[in-house]
Amino acid sequence: MISWFYIPPAQRPLFSVFVSALFVLALCCFCSLLFGAGGLSLQASFQTLLGNGSADTQFTVFHLRANRTLIGLFVGLTLGIAGALMQAVARNPLAEPGLLGVSAGSSLAVAITLVLGASTATLTVGVAQFGALLGCLCVLGVARMQGQQNDPIRLVLAGAALSSLLLAVTSLLLLFDQRAADEIRFWVTGSVAGRDTNTLFSVLPSMLIAIICILYTAKPLASLALGERVAIGLGHKPQRVRAVVIVAVALLVGGATAIAGPVAFIGLVVPFAARALVGPDIRRTLWLCLPLGPIIVISADVVSRLVAQPAEMPLGVLTAIIGAPVLLLIVRSRRMPTL
Amino acid sequence: MINQSLSLPNNEEITTAPNGHRLLSLGRHMTILIEKQAIIRNVWLLILLAIACVATLGIGTMPISPKEVIAVLFGHGNAMSQFIVQDLRLPRLLAALFTGAAFSLAGCLMQTMARNRLATPGIIGIDNAAMAFAVSSVVGMGISLAPSVMALAGAATATALAFGLAGGSGTRGYRFIVAGIGIGAIAGAVTQLLLSQVSIDVANSAYPWTVGSLSARDPMMVSILGIGLVICLVACLLFASQFALMPFSDQVIMGLGANIKYIRIVALILCITLTGLAVAVAGPVGLIALIGPEIARVLARYRGIPLISSALAGALVMILADLFGRTVLSPIELPVGIVTAVIGGPYLIWILVRRTSRTSL
Repeated sequence: MISWFYIPPAQRPLFSVFVSALFVLALCCFCSLLFGAGGLSLQASFQTLLGNGSADTQFTVFHLRANRTLIGLFVGLTLGIAGALMQAVARNPLAEPGLLGVSAGSSLAVAITLVLGASTATLTVGVAQFGALLGCLCVLGVARMQGQQNDPIRLVLAGAALSSLLLAVTSLLLLFDQRAADEIRFWVTGSVAGRDTNTLFSVLPSMLIAIICILYTAKPLASLALGERVAIGLGHKPQRVRAVVIVAVALLVGGATAIAGPVAFIGLVVPFAARALVGPDIRRTLWLCLPLGPIIVISADVVSRLVAQPAEMPLGVLTAIIGAPVLLLIVRSRRMPTL
Repeated sequence: MINQSLSLPNNEEITTAPNGHRLLSLGRHMTILIEKQAIIRNVWLLILLAIACVATLGIGTMPISPKEVIAVLFGHGNAMSQFIVQDLRLPRLLAALFTGAAFSLAGCLMQTMARNRLATPGIIGIDNAAMAFAVSSVVGMGISLAPSVMALAGAATATALAFGLAGGSGTRGYRFIVAGIGIGAIAGAVTQLLLSQVSIDVANSAYPWTVGSLSARDPMMVSILGIGLVICLVACLLFASQFALMPFSDQVIMGLGANIKYIRIVALILCITLTGLAVAVAGPVGLIALIGPEIARVLARYRGIPLISSALAGALVMILADLFGRTVLSPIELPVGIVTAVIGGPYLIWILVRRTSRTSL
């Protein structure tokens, strides 16, 4: 296992890295069931896991914590994959749904529905995905603006400008509606606690579409990494690939945002870690993003329960604290990797 | 209106001014190059600003005619309108005037320094950090300082952190910007964290700090901002000839004999001071820093760095936005930060989607 570190990332055996990541993920899920901010002691929750707990502890472990873990799994999965796709399509290691205003677009859409008085789960998911799509289209406009210099940071600046705009419009809406403001105050922080697992089922159909899109685009994206002309020469249609990827990203980010609220920086950290482990090829990176996203979200969630006992810290705060240094790390690396 | 000044040692005298410029000799040691266009432009902006000021003082729940307003300003008029104009509307007008000018000037400097028209103090996280600090003082995290002082401290902290983390100014100061974006994200998250931990009443009282508003501002901070603005404006004019080099590439600037690090640090310090003081008065009204300089650049036809015009245009936009927010939904008052966001939004999208052939700025 130690010998991995001597192999260049791109040559590491994908299968064994993937399996060990799965092992770590299982460990994280176990911890997530075991630790909590409430009064339940570590021993009691362990006993409950073994099958001899009271009704109360069983409710806490198998209902509250298990749901939470499940949602963390889903959110990590979708945001990690969305980040990897977005970075591949923008050919920019800093492209991240949260930084580029995609999450902000989808939270604006959710705020609009909340103000209009809707609260059905299915509607929220669809609306969030639509908002994410609009955010993505704005990003496409930005990507065009990149122009001659092809400067990765222009994109991030434009994304920051866009999300600050969308957030301002969201707060304008909330100014007129006290009820929605109170409701959304907890939602905009991004958290996996106390969310409705039923929403997960309403997201599933759109996730299926997203998976089909990803399967269709993985190979063209890998050749797009070699440059637009090479991709055309290999028989791919870059414009169409981009459009399909944008739809997939919108579905994924919209789904995650509808369930957990905007969780920033996951889409930046996960592909970064995946690239460090198995190299820049998108087909390998995507495989590794599958376990890495949930690992990061669930472990961040566990930490967020433990640091501020007996209260909890919102997940979004913690991911921002993890993600911002990674952002710096990417920018500070001597040569910014062009994707 | 020394918009593009160029000070030269007296042994290199320029005898004829370039087309469209005039030379102004200040004593024997200094000659200032003045662009005629700039003077005309700024005089127009000043006239518009004066009209907007009179309108703002006059319009409200209790309308006062422009004539009466001017009379009151010169110390005449009846007691009622004197009270309304001088005690109620004038402080707010001054707050709008100063914050608009300060934000816009800071934006112009930052955009020049980063060679990017989207780089504003708000986007690189100074606003967010100031907001987080102010909110923490409102929701009472065991800190008894006034929110405005905390906002100033937040702005300074964010910039210091960004500067430290960026490790030197890096190529084109870009690391600094990205570090700022990261710090802004953390500060935003912390603000959300604070707001989600307290009751809805406390969250509401912190609300003006999260959107930017001009109602009932601290008069002390307004006067401090006014003094700071004047000092920074003078400093900007002294360094105007150096800032004018910034659009060129680093090699060219060095070739011309200027110290690029020094220029950047001066611009940065001016930027933080202006933003910090302005946020301490009005909260984050960041989009002014995007709109004001852009108007000035359009008026200047993208020549040079229109510092004074930026300040004037920013003040004008701020006053109009506040007037709009006060009057349009009359019993409800829209915070000025939201008005500028809604005005600036479509404009921002236009910048993003159009195909630009113009280079950096």
